Amino acid sequence: MSELTFTPVIGIEIHIRLKTDTKIFCACSTDTDAPANTNICPVCMGLPGSLPRLNHNVVEKGMLAGMALHCTVQPRSLFFRKSYFYPDLPKGHQISQCDLPVVADGYIEVHDAEGKLKKIRVNHLHLEEDAAAMHHSASDGRLEGASTSYVDYNRAGMPLGEIVSEPDISSSAEAVEYAMNLQRRVRYAGASDADLDKGMMRFDANVSLKCSDGRWGRKVEVKNMNSFRALERAIEFEIKRQKKILQSGGEVLQETRHWNDAKGVTTASRVKEFYRKFIVEPDLPPLIVNQEWIDRVTAMMPEMPDVRANRYVHDMGLTQEAADILTDDKNTADYFEACVKAGANPVRAANWVRTEVLRVLNEMQKKISEFSIKPEVLAEIVRRVDDRKLSTTQAKEVFDYMCANDSGLDDAVKKLGITEGGVAGNALVEIIANVIKANPDVLAEIQSGKDTKGKKFKFLQGLVMKESKGQAKPQEVVEALTAALKQ
Amino acid sequence: MELYELDLYEASKGIKDKKFSPKELFESCKKRIDSCEDKIHAFITRTDGTAPVTENPNGIFAGVPTVLKDNLCTNGIRTTAASKILGNWKPPYDATAWKYLREAGAVLMGKVNMDEFAMGNTCGNSAFGPTHNPNDISRVPGGSSGGSAAAVSAGYVPFSLGSDTGGSIRQPASYCGVYGMKPTYGMVSRYGLISYGSSLDQIGPFARTIRDLQLVMSVLAQYDPMDSSCFREKNPDFTHNEDASIKGKRIALVKEFQNFTLDAPIAEAMKKTQKVLENNGAVITEVSLPVVSKYAVACYYALAMSEAHTNLERYDGVRYGYTVNDAAGIKEMFERVRSYGFGSEVKSRIIAGTCLTEPSRCDEYYVAATKVRTLIAQEFIRAFGECDFILQPVTPSLPHKIGEEDEDAMKGYETDLYTLPVNLAGLPGLSFFTGYDDATKLPVGLQLIGPRWSDSEILNAGMILERHLGSPKIANGGVK
Repeated sequence: MSELTFTPVIGIEIHIRLKTDTKIFCACSTDTDAPANTNICPVCMGLPGSLPRLNHNVVEKGMLAGMALHCTVQPRSLFFRKSYFYPDLPKGHQISQCDLPVVADGYIEVHDAEGKLKKIRVNHLHLEEDAAAMHHSASDGRLEGASTSYVDYNRAGMPLGEIVSEPDISSSAEAVEYAMNLQRRVRYAGASDADLDKGMMRFDANVSLKCSDGRWGRKVEVKNMNSFRALERAIEFEIKRQKKILQSGGEVLQETRHWNDAKGVTTASRVKEFYRKFIVEPDLPPLIVNQEWIDRVTAMMPEMPDVRANRYVHDMGLTQEAADILTDDKNTADYFEACVKAGANPVRAANWVRTEVLRVLNEMQKKISEFSIKPEVLAEIVRRVDDRKLSTTQAKEVFDYMCANDSGLDDAVKKLGITEGGVAGNALVEIIANVIKANPDVLAEIQSGKDTKGKKFKFLQGLVMKESKGQAKPQEVVEALTAALKQ
Repeated sequence: MELYELDLYEASKGIKDKKFSPKELFESCKKRIDSCEDKIHAFITRTDGTAPVTENPNGIFAGVPTVLKDNLCTNGIRTTAASKILGNWKPPYDATAWKYLREAGAVLMGKVNMDEFAMGNTCGNSAFGPTHNPNDISRVPGGSSGGSAAAVSAGYVPFSLGSDTGGSIRQPASYCGVYGMKPTYGMVSRYGLISYGSSLDQIGPFARTIRDLQLVMSVLAQYDPMDSSCFREKNPDFTHNEDASIKGKRIALVKEFQNFTLDAPIAEAMKKTQKVLENNGAVITEVSLPVVSKYAVACYYALAMSEAHTNLERYDGVRYGYTVNDAAGIKEMFERVRSYGFGSEVKSRIIAGTCLTEPSRCDEYYVAATKVRTLIAQEFIRAFGECDFILQPVTPSLPHKIGEEDEDAMKGYETDLYTLPVNLAGLPGLSFFTGYDDATKLPVGLQLIGPRWSDSEILNAGMILERHLGSPKIANGGVK
């Protein structure tokens, strides 16, 4: 009997916090740093008599996110009430577009196991409100068994976009690439900061296995992944778990499982989901998006990272790798382009940005938007190297000095005692004369012809380079030193 | 003549002309309340301990007292929806409708009784006990806005606010012998009205004259960004115009309704009213509403209960209202809070709503009802192509005695047939007074409905009816 093989079939649901100043159905601030229960009002607290009213900026950010995922904006969408009882849900139901979303039918490209590009279809993005945040006193941080639970309603009504993929994903690696690409693209579109540490991006995965003997395992929904690493590990764990069950002839139950990041396992959810058909939210009219609005939002869409990287490769001669690194973050790519616009050679500017700039930012734990060296100044550094006013070594020294001391370019050059264009001419002749004068014995050896291997010459050459603080060009030193010794 | 007997227009004019002070009017109303309230029991919460100061001495309601149905939120004043589940909850905000009245100078005498969460038509489903009809205290005042109707009828205040989801303004207005207006859906902001069936709920006024209804509507009908279903067009004109005419207006009776039996006083009122209309140049015609007559009741309850059960999901004891502190876990807390907090009528509607939207039945009930609703709205649009207004009863019978509620709950539901199609189609409906029944001395009311946004035209027609049928008197309120 041939060995059974299993093909994972994975779909991912990603929640992203849409980037607006106020919540989805009221005017409360979305500031995540505010003290607990300070950004609340009758609407997001679900007080009796309060009514939701849709924040149109949320719709716009949802459209931007959808466009970034190649989705089409739907001219008419609806809001529904999705019911469940839990203290984090002020109204006992969540207002969500679940069944009739604002954008639909897109895709994200990832690389499959053979490195070929593969489209993962995006079914839709729908708008919804976030629930409140809960803090439980129980050791496992869950409600059951906790003696005390706290609710922070600041998060209630935060605007979310839920992005639902088709089950086109075949591995944890594809899943992570899908999620990272999605993050990059929604950030580019300005739709979301998608900051994982701040809970602005959360993952659920639907995992099932197709067996070579024709059996098809049931779909298991895995929840509670808050990092790319957790997404990857949870999917891998679930594939292994289901494979084991199917190999032993067992049946995979259709259920919701919870990812425990500390233990690295998924466990069956203790709370039974209450499935109910959703009723239309009677307090919100259908959301109508006309062509004019779509056009306005389309005009706001920036160039997407893959398109941008292509341009860098084809128009600027960058390598694919360099282009990918630069376009990973929109602000970095913008910085690079500003350098090029200021006259820097694209290839060399790219090298500077991806090595020196990103290294320093990483060391200083800063964002490129906070970087003290403006792109025009970096362009000037690159240009001075090209014009041989600075050696590459000098340029890097100057750059580091500027970063460390927050100083200007010319100031740094002066402080470092660098002579632009290097030590040459009379200055070089003078240094050589001083070196020779200080080493009469070496001079004597060379002039007596004993320096057959040129060791002594190299010794003097080294001294001259040292005296010039590396600012003399080696070829000029050789020529001038030879001439001086002949005298 | 006592000051409390003045209607809104007279009271407001008297204050402006300095014939009497707001305090004198307030004291007169308070005295009237004190003398009748034992018998009528209209209030849940009285706020007339000290004479309130009008917020706007130049407003059109400056210093005129009013009461609000207790499902309208009032900042810092207990709001119960006549349910135990809200406990002593004091909203941190005002309902927009009350805010508009307050800004126009009205002063609040208190919050009045209703059926719990506006579910019922007797004002007997209240955690605070029943309200009595001021015309005959052995009878129900109607519901759910029974307290609002009784307070105006008994002369507590010249006007009040209620809400109408399936007849909850029009039916108690008719039972108590006052005018009650259910505006077009979207005409008055619902912000701060504790929801029952959100797509059906509408706030409206009670008063003892049509002119007063016009005054209140002129203040209530303003766009409010806090309610997404609120109209955005320019404010409709509710100016009182003595010269308004119904000459040439086509006023229809519903063909299918002619087969239903009406109690004699109501059938007589229908005839009398048609005569008045004809004498004033209107033409009586007939329209057919087959879908309405067959399906409106089922459609209404499917939608109202489906919406209601989700509107009532928020009452869990976590954030406000009644709660328990010794529950073993969150599930027990929810169960105990909701089991104790809700009355039986509310519970049965929550259960019905949950069943109607349950996945295996949702298409058959909730989804089907939404489709029928569209047909009903279309049927009315067609009907109003053939007529200007429809004249029909509010209820088939006069108010029954308290405690004599029909054993068969479904019969109670069917008496709503004349009122609830109006909510399904979002139409305006006026419940108007036609006179007193000779035998019982009870007031008899009828209903005039029109196409959406025809509120001011309906009131103009109502003014002509009032002129010929007479205005209601203040009921004796059980005081001989």
